[in-house]
Amino acid sequence: MKAASVLPIFSIVFAVLYVLSMENNWALFTYFARAREFHWLVVTPPTPRAGPAMYWYGWLATSALGAVAVAAVAGLLRAERAGRLWRHLSWGVPLAAVLALMFILRGWFIRV
Amino acid sequence: MLGALTHQALSIWWPATAGGRSVFHSFRAVRSAAYANTVVVLYVVTATLGAIIYPAYRIGVRVFLEDLRLSAANGIFELKEHVVAVGLGLLPAYWYFWRQPLADGDAAARKAVTALLAAIVWYSFLVGHVLNSIRGFGP
Repeated sequence: MKAASVLPIFSIVFAVLYVLSMENNWALFTYFARAREFHWLVVTPPTPRAGPAMYWYGWLATSALGAVAVAAVAGLLRAERAGRLWRHLSWGVPLAAVLALMFILRGWFIRV
Repeated sequence: MLGALTHQALSIWWPATAGGRSVFHSFRAVRSAAYANTVVVLYVVTATLGAIIYPAYRIGVRVFLEDLRLSAANGIFELKEHVVAVGLGLLPAYWYFWRQPLADGDAAARKAVTALLAAIVWYSFLVGHVLNSIRGFGP
């Protein structure tokens, strides 16, 4: 179960990276829904026919890759031994991420 | 998945006591650890299916909602796509805290992670139904 003990670290880092990726548009790739094309990194629609650019998949990929990398390094450094801290951060950080997302998206619901 | 997570969340936040016979007592008196792997698989499958049909929503439904100036409806979906992503990232921690036997000191984290995941799934379920009721599927 030693390798599994870094899983809470993955969840913590993923939540942080996801909010940062979404807010700063750090998409690993862009998908054009109408043209059904993938492009590396952040790309704006080349033509109107390509349809809207979708970055959500790219944000997921950025967050997952970053979280895997950090969790792997944490595993090598035996950082999971700070168990109590990770235990609480593993739900506290994702909860904070959800609250941050609600704040970021408040413009959909109220005039800001 | 919705049922399993609701069973789990209630069973650890409000454990069933011995001797109870009501339906609500039975609802909480489940072997909740048995649901963990299934919840992980179903969440991944559901999120994957959602990701596959997302472009159709982006092209067809979102534009429709924008035309109707239903900003809040678009907003609840925007929030849904992001909380579902946070939920995906939460799955490893969820699985870790439901492994058997429960490690010393992990009980509070198990309760919190399960409640958060259950809230995400309930929110996504309800938003999906509301948006489906507004626009529906098909042309």
